[in-house]
Amino acid sequence: MGEISTKVLVLGGGPGGYVAAIRAGQCHLDTVLVEGTRVGGTCLNVGCIPSKALIHAAEAYDHARRQEKTLPFGLKVQKPSIDFAKTIAWKDGIVARLNTGVAGLLKRNHVNILRGHGVMLDGKTCRVETDTGPETIRAEHVILATGSVPTPLPSLPFGSNVISSTEALSLAKVPETLAVVGAGYIGLELGTAFAKLGAKVTVVEATDRILPLYDAELTRPVARHLATLGVEVLTKAKAVGKSKKGDALVVEVGGGKREIYAQTILVAVGRKPLTEGWGLEQIDLTMSGPFIAIDERCATSMRNVWAIGDVTGEPMLAHRAMAQGEMVADIIAGERRVFDKVAIPAVCFTDPEIVSVGLTPAAARAAGHQIQTGVFPFQASGRAMTLAAEDGFVRVTARADNHLILGIQAVGAGVSELSAAFGLALEMGARLEDIGGTIHAHPTLGEAFQEASFKTLGEALHI
Amino acid sequence: MSYDLIVIGTGPGGYVCAIRAAQLGLKTAVVEKRATHGGTCLNVGCIPSKALLHASELFEESGKSFAKMGIGVSTPKLDLAAMQAFKDTGVDGNVKGVEFLLKKNKIDAFRGTGRIFEPGKVEVKGEDGKTQTLETKNIVIATGSDVAKLRGITIDEKRVVSSTGALALDKVPGQLLVVGAGIIGLELGSVWRRLGAKVTVVEFLDRIVPGIDTDVAKNFQRLLQRQGIAFKLSSKVTGVDASGDKLKATIEPAAGGAAETIEADIVLVAVGRVPYTEGLGLKEAGVAMDDRGHVAVDAHLQTNVKGIYAIGDVIAGPMLAHKAEDEGVAAAETIAGKSGHVNYDVIPNVVYTYPEVASVGKTEEELKQAGVAYNVGKFPFTANGRAKVNMTTDGFVKILADAKTDRVLGVHILGPDAGNMIAEAAVAMEFGASSEDIARTCHAHPTLTEAVKEAALAVEKRAIHM
Repeated sequence: MGEISTKVLVLGGGPGGYVAAIRAGQCHLDTVLVEGTRVGGTCLNVGCIPSKALIHAAEAYDHARRQEKTLPFGLKVQKPSIDFAKTIAWKDGIVARLNTGVAGLLKRNHVNILRGHGVMLDGKTCRVETDTGPETIRAEHVILATGSVPTPLPSLPFGSNVISSTEALSLAKVPETLAVVGAGYIGLELGTAFAKLGAKVTVVEATDRILPLYDAELTRPVARHLATLGVEVLTKAKAVGKSKKGDALVVEVGGGKREIYAQTILVAVGRKPLTEGWGLEQIDLTMSGPFIAIDERCATSMRNVWAIGDVTGEPMLAHRAMAQGEMVADIIAGERRVFDKVAIPAVCFTDPEIVSVGLTPAAARAAGHQIQTGVFPFQASGRAMTLAAEDGFVRVTARADNHLILGIQAVGAGVSELSAAFGLALEMGARLEDIGGTIHAHPTLGEAFQEASFKTLGEALHI
Repeated sequence: MSYDLIVIGTGPGGYVCAIRAAQLGLKTAVVEKRATHGGTCLNVGCIPSKALLHASELFEESGKSFAKMGIGVSTPKLDLAAMQAFKDTGVDGNVKGVEFLLKKNKIDAFRGTGRIFEPGKVEVKGEDGKTQTLETKNIVIATGSDVAKLRGITIDEKRVVSSTGALALDKVPGQLLVVGAGIIGLELGSVWRRLGAKVTVVEFLDRIVPGIDTDVAKNFQRLLQRQGIAFKLSSKVTGVDASGDKLKATIEPAAGGAAETIEADIVLVAVGRVPYTEGLGLKEAGVAMDDRGHVAVDAHLQTNVKGIYAIGDVIAGPMLAHKAEDEGVAAAETIAGKSGHVNYDVIPNVVYTYPEVASVGKTEEELKQAGVAYNVGKFPFTANGRAKVNMTTDGFVKILADAKTDRVLGVHILGPDAGNMIAEAAVAMEFGASSEDIARTCHAHPTLTEAVKEAALAVEKRAIHM
């Protein structure tokens, strides 16, 4: 049995973990990264990246299908075909390249990657079962980055045709019928993709509308488009299990029961922190509900044990984990830093896309702010017209007294790429006049941000 | 009838100026000689070209990248008339929008050619030849620009076309010769190449897109060449013979030398635009011009004649719709007694080719020339996850930051969706942000904008994903 001593041990090679390790390597800290499977974590292997690949392919296919009849661009194609195995192989190719890329980055920064399941024995020691036998790592600093796993439903345990997002991204073929339990962003992103690929999709949501974490105004264009795609959405509906024959999902809705025929049932009711199976019980950290409790430096209750990413709480987003990872590595290297992000953008890659940065109008009011808010619709954007993508808007919320921007939301085609401008504006403490006074290139979708700021001031030029 | 303000020309500068003035309580009128409002930009510029660029990009995409994703499509058949109709719908929606906005803001619109009769008086000559004279306290000249002509080449808008004609071709030319490797030439050249034309671009200078960062321009040219556009740099077109079925263009080295002839079905002259001042009565009104034919204005956009202002393409500076709009707002605010201001250091610039080119602030050449010490942070889209799944990995983000203060001095993006991403850079530069400010801002994953953050990290040689 081998023994390794190191300055930094990172447990988990997802976006939080590998970024922490790379940054630690850049800071010349002796670093070991322990990962049971492939580096890249949920995000790269079974999350953000493969889902966006599938979404992109589905959108392309849908576009080709609609070209002849409903799209205005003057292109005629015969009925397109899809070879789904090839689509999945293409996606797997991208994931493999990114895996290799991340492994290469780690090596270049002199991070020692130890492949195998790691279990913490105490706050400084980790035992890793590698292919060549167990290794024990002793580290001065431990960064816990174990991530999260899909939350199962007791009434619909994962197995056979009941799948999580992980399996949904590697299906052998497009199911003819797909029931999606949970209308959060994961369920809707994948449900939309499969609907575009030809599946008959039904979405079952327990609350009264889709994407319950976003406000109704923001989610309305998405709901509209789901209907266009033929996706049936059942709200205030509870999935209670499979039918006796196993060929349908049983749902309690409107006081009665309904069977929804489904070859495949995707359970996407959320994710939970991965806190089991890696020795958390041995180190007895203070918890915050199901999550590991951390302070503004990502320090846990034990000295020199740090935790980052999904295992530490909401929002469970790769870019939050990456930012935390980078910061913790800096702190270990001696920098004085705290996690003080004003804005962590949230993006739904639905159709159309949704972005939310900072406070929504309702959240701002609830926080006691006197606010002004303004909406600029993409219908009035020249760029959106030329893209034939006019559904959606940008909405800005600011303090009424000094016009400090508190939050920006948008829904529309391609708005995910506006999220950076929104985030930067909040981080710089922008006021409405600052965004109004910044020249935005014409014709771009970003003009809608400027116009929404003007609108909030009561000075919109283009509506 | 007497007005507080009359704006001559309702392009993006003019109509925005009028709307802002009306918002501020000025009694405002506009004069427009075109049948529709919106100027070059909306009628024969930015908007129709972007519609064709988008549609032609889809045409090319379905032929190329789909197979990789397991999607089988037949080679799409082009219905050019339908594509042009889509473009026209986009233009129509936009110009009607402007008309609605003018009405909504209670701005009087006069149809006809405007002329400054004397300070305080604007004469409008209608199509029927009848004239009327309007009185006003202030005048804003927003007459825009016209296509620059080349000696020896007559534009007939049928076979020898300007951008206006190139937007309205009724069939795809077999061979298209583009004179001028600026933004307009490359955008429209891209449209027709995607739809099947063989495109050659002739440029007088030894580089394409003058004014754009050279490093970006070089890489951009390489990508365009890979797509099949041929370039003849350091060359000039001295004449076009339109007597035969095919056009015959004579091309000479810029430095002089042996001429050659290139055949083409269509020749697009895109050598730039010149300020439009004809028949405006500027001389009579005593308005001074600069030596390049622009209306000369001071820092408040006022000409040497009190009460006469000018904005947009007709004055000096980049000929961009958003620059004109910002000047329109500033002029209206100045006239209304507020302090309007335009920051000429932060005007973004976008080329809507594939990949797009977008930039804001200084280029490397400008910084070198000014003797400013700077650091460079660069990040390629090949290392960006979102670009990978979209199969759009060409290009990079480059951030130039002051070596001493780390203040961002310029951002240059060659890549997919660069036009939308440049907004972040413009906001950052308006705040005098450092590259560290961008680097420490949480950028959503997986988006293309992460490349901007990584380029900012790369300024301090600490990019994560490279």
